[in-house]
This record gives sequence, structure tokens and C-alpha cells, in this order.
Amino acid sequence: MIRLQRRLRVDRRRSITLRLAGVVISLLVAGVVLQISGSPALMLGRRAVETMTTPYGMEQGLVLATPILLTALAVALGFRMRLWNIGVDGQLYIGALAATGIGLNVNGPTWLMLTLMMVAGAAGGAFWILGPALARAYGRVNEIITTLLMNFVALQVVNWLSLGPWRDSTIPDLSATRRIPYELPILPGTNTVPIGVIAPFLIAAVVFFIFRFTTWGYEVDISGGNARAAEYAGIDVRRRIVSVMCISGAIAGASGAILVAGTTHRLSSTISNQYGFSGFIVAALAAGAIVVLILVGLLVAGLLVAAITLQTLGLSVDAVLALYGLILIGNVVAEVAARYRVVRTTKPPPELQFAPAEALAGAGPQGLSALTAAGSPPESTD
Amino acid sequence: MYDPQPPDVQNDQTVACADARATVVEMADIWKAFDDFQALSGASLELQAGEIHALLGENGAGKTTLSNVLTGIYRPDVGTIRLDGEQRRFHSPAQAIAAGLGMVHQHFRLVEPLTVAENIHLGRPELPRRLSRRRLISETAQAMEQYGLTVNPTARIWQLSIGEQQRVEILRVLLRGARVLILDEPTAVLTPSEATELFAVLRRLAASGRTIVFISHKLHEVLAVSDRVTILRRGMNVATRPAAKMTPEKLAKLMTGTERVMEAPRPSKGRGKPVLELRNVSARGDRGLVSVREASCTVHEGEIVGVAGVSGNGQRELTEIATGLRHPFEGTVAIDGQDLTARLPGDFVSAGVGHVPEDRIGSAIVPSATVVDNAVLRAFRTGELSRAGVMRRGAVRVFTDRLVTAADVQLPDIDVPIANLSGGNQQRFVARREAWAADRLLVAAHPTRGLDVRAADQVREVVLDRRDAGCAVLLVSDDLDELLAVSDRIVVMYEGRIKGDFTAAKARRKEIGYLMGGGDLVGGAGAEAPS
Ligand SMILES: Nc1ncnc2c1ncn2[C@@H]1O[C@H](COP(=O)(O)OP(=O)(O)OP(=O)(O)O)[C@@H](O)[C@H]1O
Ligand SMILES: [Mg+2]
Repeated sequence: MIRLQRRLRVDRRRSITLRLAGVVISLLVAGVVLQISGSPALMLGRRAVETMTTPYGMEQGLVLATPILLTALAVALGFRMRLWNIGVDGQLYIGALAATGIGLNVNGPTWLMLTLMMVAGAAGGAFWILGPALARAYGRVNEIITTLLMNFVALQVVNWLSLGPWRDSTIPDLSATRRIPYELPILPGTNTVPIGVIAPFLIAAVVFFIFRFTTWGYEVDISGGNARAAEYAGIDVRRRIVSVMCISGAIAGASGAILVAGTTHRLSSTISNQYGFSGFIVAALAAGAIVVLILVGLLVAGLLVAAITLQTLGLSVDAVLALYGLILIGNVVAEVAARYRVVRTTKPPPELQFAPAEALAGAGPQGLSALTAAGSPPESTD
Repeated sequence: MYDPQPPDVQNDQTVACADARATVVEMADIWKAFDDFQALSGASLELQAGEIHALLGENGAGKTTLSNVLTGIYRPDVGTIRLDGEQRRFHSPAQAIAAGLGMVHQHFRLVEPLTVAENIHLGRPELPRRLSRRRLISETAQAMEQYGLTVNPTARIWQLSIGEQQRVEILRVLLRGARVLILDEPTAVLTPSEATELFAVLRRLAASGRTIVFISHKLHEVLAVSDRVTILRRGMNVATRPAAKMTPEKLAKLMTGTERVMEAPRPSKGRGKPVLELRNVSARGDRGLVSVREASCTVHEGEIVGVAGVSGNGQRELTEIATGLRHPFEGTVAIDGQDLTARLPGDFVSAGVGHVPEDRIGSAIVPSATVVDNAVLRAFRTGELSRAGVMRRGAVRVFTDRLVTAADVQLPDIDVPIANLSGGNQQRFVARREAWAADRLLVAAHPTRGLDVRAADQVREVVLDRRDAGCAVLLVSDDLDELLAVSDRIVVMYEGRIKGDFTAAKARRKEIGYLMGGGDLVGGAGAEAPS
């Protein structure tokens, strides 16, 4: 009989291979559907690939990937403790706001100012989640709701500043702040990619190291797995909740600072293209694996770039979104599939079975009769 | 619209039973592997109508797995299941229960915030379309009366004692029309009197034609309650025997394949300085009621103090106070003369306190984490396993290997989630880990619960070894035999108070029993002034 059997543990490499297969299959399915419905699927596909592989397309992808990967990392960090930071967008905005505030109001050498902006961004993000974090740790207030609500507050604050006190009044109809005089340098070897693109890779490496090698990472994992056991082990779970949420907020805030310092140069209430939302999806798809998170984040960014091209070629927004969804579903299926294997279920060959003689050594006559009874109906009871 | 069908027509008291000895279930040649780990290798089980059939075997023998195969939770790799002579294949627990095969698990699966009535009706297939609270309650009460299992239908699960929760679980399964009821280690969590009540219920159910499968490690109760016994070893059948022809010794020998070697009693080599000192501590339990009252107790180096008492008289709270998990609202807690009142559990860990809690799965392991991560739960801060906040991964693996070997834990390998270990193997693991963590004080609640005969002996040995190495031991158990076998002193807890203080040599079962029941000893009569 052929059957699916659950694996005891998931192999990362298999998971990544299956996900790639999932992307390919999703694209094939989409192509067939498009072809049937009368669109030139092959041409569209070629153009999309062309876009993604031109230097400009790749650079655009990296620019988009930066905030997506950073917010994904922020969310994934919370997941380690089963905490849901739904407020990454809000923290991103407040991080951007803090960085803009420094950039517009303080003067200094560029390198120093950029450093200050990054620090301010991270601090802003951490500050924005501090309330929900404390409420969660000490009052058991559900963080999903509080972090979500803080998003709306953040957006209003940014709106008010960028339309009010900080607004650039020299340009009519511009609903953004003045231009920040400090800009992140461009990554050597590219034309448009700000140096901030290395941030997600650096942070991912640090996060990976922390959870693989440090006692702090271990304590966080244990607290996420069973808070009562963590307390029993002498771990101060509440402090871990606060620090994990604040670091998560700081990463999201830093991504806001990188966004204004490297890409938008002005603060407005539209700088985030729902990056937090994409980041959330990426984190959920990665299911806790950092390497997978990076790959999925790059994939999503690439899809967004290709989507722009496809739209200019006449594919409707809905069709593009459906394609996007199809690929994500392919990923989910692959992730689940990686946990199973197909087996032919039979009795194992004799060398894999427990050596019966050893198993039943010294069992006396009953043991021997069990040996002969193995594979036949149970020994009867006179 | 209103559904005119009267409630519970299908749950008639008498299940069709033409012939009391008719074979109901026949499982033959069942094989089941988890990855490469062979949990069942051709096991079989034959059940008759109206019998109580005990399933025995060492920890990890495959008892739970075999039951899970019968109730559709696992599908066997190879093997046949016949129900009333007809071959069946179950693809889900729902199909098995529809066919009349129900199971009460080792760990309960109730929804804590809901009421008893709601839990009992949750997921019941033939639920009337229009439900009212009153109807739920009346139907629940009716069913309780029918089966002689009473619990307050409007109470919420978290308010119930373990024994009451178990009755709810049993009712839930019965109301789904179970003809075969499997109970996985039902008495492991019960007090002796609760167990006696359960046995009465089981006998009634069997008398009405149902089949009961009863899994237990307590050989005396197995012989007392069951008609036949099937013994598994390493996923294979060893024997099926009428209980009347067996003795605990014969059963133990069939299970392990060797004679049980009884260690001679090992008296203490003499006690040293006080380690744990509780002075007039009072504390509230989870439900806000005062459950420890002005308790005082001192445990010295090299001595085992046994805490006797009927479960629920404050023993759990006492162990939690002694390990920093619960803070007393009055009184002081000191370890080695250092006042640790109101300090965090971490401070107790650093002070060298090991703790085998009553609820091991809930509070002493992280089920989703690997065996490795669970092994170092207590010791990861020590210099052996980490330096300056960085884990020494090589040392961690070596430590885990040593622990698993010492505790004789059966497992596929150390990188699987610990939830994949059998219940008893998890218990062994925790008991040994805590014995290792206990440099100064070991607080152990029911450390042999859920362990097979041999593993229980091993754990008792470990506790004695710790004592002989100069560690203080506070041992809670509701098994008086076990307490008398290993303790140097015995105190009794009743309604949160510590009463009586017997040296083991002078302890008399009758007096302890009298105190456990709420009596008072006046004057000498074996009691000593608390030291
Ligand atoms: N889901 C699983 N994945 C991997 N291994 C498993 C799983 N379930 C059980 N096992 C293994 O199969 C063996 C039999 O387990 P089972 O739970 O049936 O034992 P048991 O007889 O109920 O023991 P106990 O008395 O300790 O409860 C154990 O060694 C266990 O590690
Ligand atoms: Mg079991």
C-alpha cells in the first residue's frame, strides 16, 4: 500500500527544493489558464522574466525587498515567542518619522546624521510597540489587537506632521515633508540601490546566530514553546516578552528609517506600500526558517516588480493578484508537503525489525510463544 | 425548526449483547512505524463483549499507539481490524467513534473555559438543531444519571478536580455511543478513592455489555478490576491471560522478561544541616482559596521527608512554594539558610533545587521543542553548557546523550520533538533531569506515576542516591507504600496544614491514615515534635 507518512522533523533543504518546485508549478498552472483565456501567456512570461533579469529590474527588486525583508524579520522574531506583531507598518512609520525628525532638524556631518537617523528609527519603532509589549507582559492584554490599533494612530501622526508642521510648502499640492538633506549612499556596483539593502541580510545573520548559539535565544524559544515550563526553568518570561517585542519594533522602525533615508527622502503617509503586510505574509510562509524567509522575501519582491510590467502589458490588476496568490499557495502546499513522505507500507525487512531474540531474551516460554505468535492471531487463553 | 426526535434514543442502557463472550474487536498483525522507529511489530488484540481487558507493558511498549490505531488516530502500516467479524478501516477518529470505538486519553482534551454540559455535547453528531442552555443541562444530567457519573453540569472545566474532569471525558465518549471504551492510564491521576469509584463505574459499564480496555502500570489494580490481560513488549504480544490466574510478580516478569530485583531497604546514613526551611507559610491556590495554612517543615541534608495525604490537600501548592513557583502571603522560605521568600524560580534553580512537578507535561517540558532543548532546561546556565551567554552546542548534545542513557529513555533520536516520546518515557526523562539538577534539594511530586515497574524502581533508586549524596529530598505521594519504602520521615498534609511528623521506623500506617482523613493525634502516639 502506498501512503503518506509524517516525518519526525522537517529538512530545510527539502523544504526549499519543494518550494521552488511549487513556484514553477504555480507559474505553469497560471500560464495554462492565461493561454486558455486568450492571453499570450508565453509572451507575458518572457517579458516578466526579462523585467526581473534586467539590471534595472533586479535593482528595483532589491529596493522593494529591503522593507519587506526587514518587516518580515520583525514579524518572524515575534513568532519565536508566539507573539503576533501586527503593527509592523505602524512601527515602520514611526521609525521613518523619528529619522525624518532628526534629518530635518539637526545638522551635522552626513555619516553621523545617517547613523543618528538609523538609531532614531529603531528607537522610534521600539517605542511604538512598548505600550502593547508592557500590556501583554504584565496585563495579559492580547498584542494582536493593541499592535493593530497602533497602526492607525501612527498613520494619523505621520499624516498630521507631513501635512502640517513639517510640510514642504515650497511645492504646491505636495503632501509630504521637506526633503531630508542626508541620503544613504548607493551600494557599490549598482546604480540605484541604497546601501540599506544589506541591513536585512546583516540582521538575518545576527538573528540566526542568536537563536542558534545563545542562551538568550534559547530562553526565548522555550518561553514561546511553553511559558509555564520557562518560568519553571527560571526564565523571566515577562521580560523576554518585552524585549522580543521591542526588538521586533526596532527592526520595523529601522526599516522605516532606511526607507526615508534611502528611497523616498521625504516623509508622507504613503511611503509604505503595505510593506508590513507583505512582510507578514513572508514571515508566515517561512515558518520560522531564516534562510527560507530571505528567499521567499526576494521572491515576493521580484513578483511585485514583474507585476508592474504585466500590468503595463494589459493584464488586469485582479489577474496579477490572482497569480501572486497562486504562487503563495504553491509555497504553503510545498511547506506542508515537506513534512510528509510517501512510503510503501509493508512490514520492514527483517534486518530493520527488532531482533526478536534480543527483545524477548529471558522471557521464558511465554516469550517464545509470542515469537511464533507474531504475525498470527493473538495467543488464545485456553 | 424544532427537531421532534427525543434525546438519547440511541444511548440505551443495554447495548445489544447476544452472547456475553462474543468477540467484538479483533486486531491482528498490526505494524506501525514512525519514520524508522518501529513502534508496533505485529501486535494483536482481541476484545470480547462485556469484559474489562487490561493492556500492560513497559513504557514505550506501544500501548497508546495500539489504542490510537484502534480508534482511528493512526493508520496501521500493515494489519487488519475486525469489528463484529467484519473488516474495517478507519480514516479518522470520527469514523471510529461512529463505529462505537471511543478513547479517554492520557492527557484530557476538554475545553477549559466551557461548562461540563457544553463540553459533553461538543462535536456530538446527533445534536438537536435548536439548543437551549436548559436543554443541554437537562440532557447532561439525564445522561449522568443513566451512567452513574455525576458532575455539576454547569460547572466550568477548570473548576473541576482531575477525577471529575475524567468523568466528563468518559461521559463524552459514552454519549457518542461507544461500545468499546479505551482508558489510557486513567488512574495515574486519581486519588485512591477516586480510582475505586472509577472501577465501580467500569464494572457497571461492562455489565451492560460494553467492552473496557484499561491501560495501567499499577499491577494490583489491574488484577482487581480486569477479566483478561494482554501484555505487550516492544510492540509485540507476549501473552493474553485471564486475570484470575495471574499475580503481580508474574505480570511484571512477562512485561520485562526478567525477575524483579527488590533492593533491600536503605536507611539514611544520618542527616546533616537543614536545607529547606519552611516557617509558617500560608498561600493561596489557583482558585484563590487558601490552600496552605501555616505550614512549617524542615528537610535536612541526607534525608527524605515524605508528604502523605489525600490529593488536593495542599501538597501541590507546598511543592510550588518550596521551588519558588508560588509565593506565600505569609511565612518564610529558606534554602541553606538563605531567605528566598518571594524570589523568582530562577533563584531556586541557582540554589540547587530540582523539581519533579505533579503536572510534568504542562509545566516541566516544552512538548514542541526537541529532546535536546528539553534536556538542558535546568542546566543550560551552568559553565558546562554555556559560556558568557553562548551555548556550547557540542557539550549540550553530550549532556543530552548522557541523560537519555541514564534515564533509559526509549526514543528515535535526540532531535525529535519530545512530544513524540511515550508518556512514561517523558516522565523518566524529567525525573532523571531533575535529580541531576538537584544539588541541594529535590522536590518530587509522584515521581513514579506513569512509570512501569522497572522504571519506578529505577527512579526510587535515583532518589535514594541523591539522598546518600547529601541532598535533601521532599517527596510527595499519595501512595503510602511508596512513602514508607523510601522516606526517613513522614509528615501528613490535611486541608493545607502539616500534621504529624513520624520517623519512618516508628511510622504506623493506621496513624498516618487517621491523620490523612482529618483526625488528630493527641499526645505521644508515635508523633514527634516537629524538628
Ligand atoms: N508520534 C510519534 N512519533 C514518533 N514516535 C512515537 C510517536 N508516538 C509514539 N512513538 C514511539 O513509539 C513507542 C511506543 O509509544 P507508546 O506511546 O505507544 O508507548 P506506551 O506503551 O503507551 O508507553 P507509556 O507507558 O510510557 O505511555 C515509544 O517508544 C514512542 O517513542
Ligand atoms: Mg502511553
